[in-house]
Amino acid sequence: MAVGIKSYGAYLPRWLLPRELIAKAWDFPSIPGTKAVASGDEDSLTMAVEAGLDCLAGFDPKEVDGLYFATTTQVYTEKDSASLIATVLDLRDDIITADFTDSLKAGTTAVARAIDTIKANKDIKSILVIASDSREPEPSTMWEYGFADGAAALLIAEGDNLPLIIDDYYSISANVTGPWKRANKDKFIRTFEVKMDARFYVQTITKVMNEIMKRNNLTPEDINVAAYYYNNPRLHGRIAKMLKFQQGVAQNGLFLQIGDVGNPMPFMLLITAMRRPKEEAKVIMAGFGDGADAILMHVQDRKALRELSKTRKGVAGHQKSMITLKNYNVYIENKKLLEKDRYIRKSSAVTMWRDTPSVYKWYGYKCKSCGTVQYPAQGHACVVCRADNQFELVKLQKKGKIFTFTLDHLVGGAYLDTPVPRCVIDLDGGGRVLLDMTEIQKPEENVKIGMEVELTFRKQHEGAEFHNYYWKCRPLRG
Amino acid sequence: MAIKGIRDKIAIIGCEATKYGEHWDKNQYDLLHEATMGAFKDAGVKKEEIEAAWVGIYYYFTGLSGATVEDILRLDGIPITRVENYCASGMDAFRNACYGVASGTYDVVLACGVEKLMDEGSSGLPGFKIFGHPVLPLPSAPAMFSMAATRCFHEFGWTKEDLARVAVKNHDNGSYHPKAHFRSKITIEQAMRAPMIADPLGRFDCCAMSDGAAALILTRPELAESYAHADDYIIVKANAISVRTNFPWYVPPGGPGADFTSFPSTVKAAEMAYKEAGITNPRKEIDCAEVHDCFTITELINYQDLQFCDRGMAAEELKNGTFNWDGETAVNPSGGLKSFGHPIGSTGCRMLQEITKQLQGRAEGRQVPDAKIGLCHNLGGAFSVASVTILSQRD
Repeated sequence: MAVGIKSYGAYLPRWLLPRELIAKAWDFPSIPGTKAVASGDEDSLTMAVEAGLDCLAGFDPKEVDGLYFATTTQVYTEKDSASLIATVLDLRDDIITADFTDSLKAGTTAVARAIDTIKANKDIKSILVIASDSREPEPSTMWEYGFADGAAALLIAEGDNLPLIIDDYYSISANVTGPWKRANKDKFIRTFEVKMDARFYVQTITKVMNEIMKRNNLTPEDINVAAYYYNNPRLHGRIAKMLKFQQGVAQNGLFLQIGDVGNPMPFMLLITAMRRPKEEAKVIMAGFGDGADAILMHVQDRKALRELSKTRKGVAGHQKSMITLKNYNVYIENKKLLEKDRYIRKSSAVTMWRDTPSVYKWYGYKCKSCGTVQYPAQGHACVVCRADNQFELVKLQKKGKIFTFTLDHLVGGAYLDTPVPRCVIDLDGGGRVLLDMTEIQKPEENVKIGMEVELTFRKQHEGAEFHNYYWKCRPLRG
Repeated sequence: MAIKGIRDKIAIIGCEATKYGEHWDKNQYDLLHEATMGAFKDAGVKKEEIEAAWVGIYYYFTGLSGATVEDILRLDGIPITRVENYCASGMDAFRNACYGVASGTYDVVLACGVEKLMDEGSSGLPGFKIFGHPVLPLPSAPAMFSMAATRCFHEFGWTKEDLARVAVKNHDNGSYHPKAHFRSKITIEQAMRAPMIADPLGRFDCCAMSDGAAALILTRPELAESYAHADDYIIVKANAISVRTNFPWYVPPGGPGADFTSFPSTVKAAEMAYKEAGITNPRKEIDCAEVHDCFTITELINYQDLQFCDRGMAAEELKNGTFNWDGETAVNPSGGLKSFGHPIGSTGCRMLQEITKQLQGRAEGRQVPDAKIGLCHNLGGAFSVASVTILSQRD
């Protein structure tokens, strides 16, 4: 049986930073375009959750047999992220999870390994591959124009009738001169000679795509879509010419609009190109970073791809609801590039683990006696009918309406100029919850009783010296 | 069958409260010593006569156990218990003391309360680093209560100005009390212009964070006549505590308090206390009340929950003067938590001390004219713990 792509999803954060604001901040010549900037409560893990949820929309998460997570911006260097992402996505626990890290081609490498895993193991029929990056550029360097935040997911699965069928993959390993980030040492990317870096990039990615065409007796004219990683539009164009791709084959829109999102970039280029696929189109997706991977696919089911483009927010859906930042300072604040004392709450890794169903997987408790859905689990008696221990776990919805709220200026005993909206929300389908709101502009004017909100998984604080994640609410994203 | 209730079984024979405020130069022991020794003096009892004591303390850094009292008084090994029940801690210490006397176990007991907040800094209640679940949102105290304000605005059409009127009244009353934390009158405009703390509650909608202590001496009425206040000791008519859901305090629809416009623990405690005291028309029968105005919205809701006015009418009744010190039911003649201050464990005892003095006609601040029956009320936790005590003049 063939292996292919069954579904996809993506996530782009709420904010777009015009590059001219960077230029203005440092009095540099500007380059055109904008880049995607995450909020202060986001990281590669939370964005991966968003992309994963988008990819699995309408699917039963219990049918997924594995999760591979690809990033260069892992939130822990010991402790994987894939298992927590799988937990939050409510996957089963008899699945395989792994992190693919330290390289910008980790995403394509994870796809190649997913193909291998599915082919080699009859019990593993699908693996969700999520690539996510949130790289911190050193302010006032060229990297600042490029580095952007985002995530994308591909559901790799076994089947002959999938939207995209994977025909082959090919990889190259190459120890290049840079860039790098030393473990436990560097906050920002280092490089020795950018011209050498560029040369390796052009050589390696050209070679990997050439080789996969050769292996499959294809010529550049046969290729309809080439979705390869790039962080420099000029080099991207040169590669397209060197490979003799026809006009429009090499996907090139994203750097200008959302920047260099790192690992998810090839996925996003593919997802964008698959909105209007040609019948039986041949597609190459390629990643680069100390070597390169090329994945060769063809469009099997155009209708299914069209359907996916409607049911997934994908890249375009998120782009529609991005908000352009008006000043550079917000970006600096979001990226935590300024050292500030931040409020640290008490925490307990044990409590977080014990409360996995409610805290991560978003389950509530339904009283079998009176039917009231309650959240979180507290005590053993129903707050409405007082029946003892009549609860059953129920999956809660991730949308609801504000019943009451406040804009809290006091956080941990410190006064904040910008208040945190605290919202009591009645969830669609039952359950009343209390959540902080994120990404709300002018809360004094915009937060209201009856307002519709949706949930988003965010980093809350660093209590007990680990990442404490939980859900927040946000205004509906278009 | 149990002999229910404590009505007419306890007499308050002495009481004292410290000045409330920012006592930078005093610790909790200094404050508690001043209050307890003052109460002994007021009652005309020697500390050797005290047979048992209860002390209300909320925060562990003020004191962990009954030894907090022993360490300042050296009572020679009598039973002393720390009582903690959120903002009702002080009044619950009093309740325990009442039972000690009513049961016949002790003749003379001490109920007191103390809190030292300023050593932890003055911006908002301390402890948000020690409480709570790791990630469930932990709103500030004003944030929790402001959610009730948001709902009351929506349901009853109350406004920021209605809230401001509570602050203006309580600051006005407090300005006459030498022991109040804040002693300046304010205007509605001032209150409304103040910086937001938790929208819609601004700085003047929030009570003072204060240090302070208060103490009361209790005995049986038949023994009261042998002490200093033989002619004007005060009788406990009722005492009730109601504890309802603290968490989740955002109770789902159908549960008690789910509408955020009433605090069911207050309603229940009031019902129990009125029943015990035989009060059928609280608005008419209660002459003066110290109620828990941790936030201005709380006082408005209290009027309704304590049956001082009809549901939805609190703002209008306040505007009409019903709750002024010379109104139909004088509420917070001391200035309340808003102006007098709120050292948590002390507050319940301080209210009882204030109402005792009001009924004795010895109020240190504004004297409510002809006060014969008074009420004290606390509401603590996430709207979960309420206590109501009713006091009256002796027969």
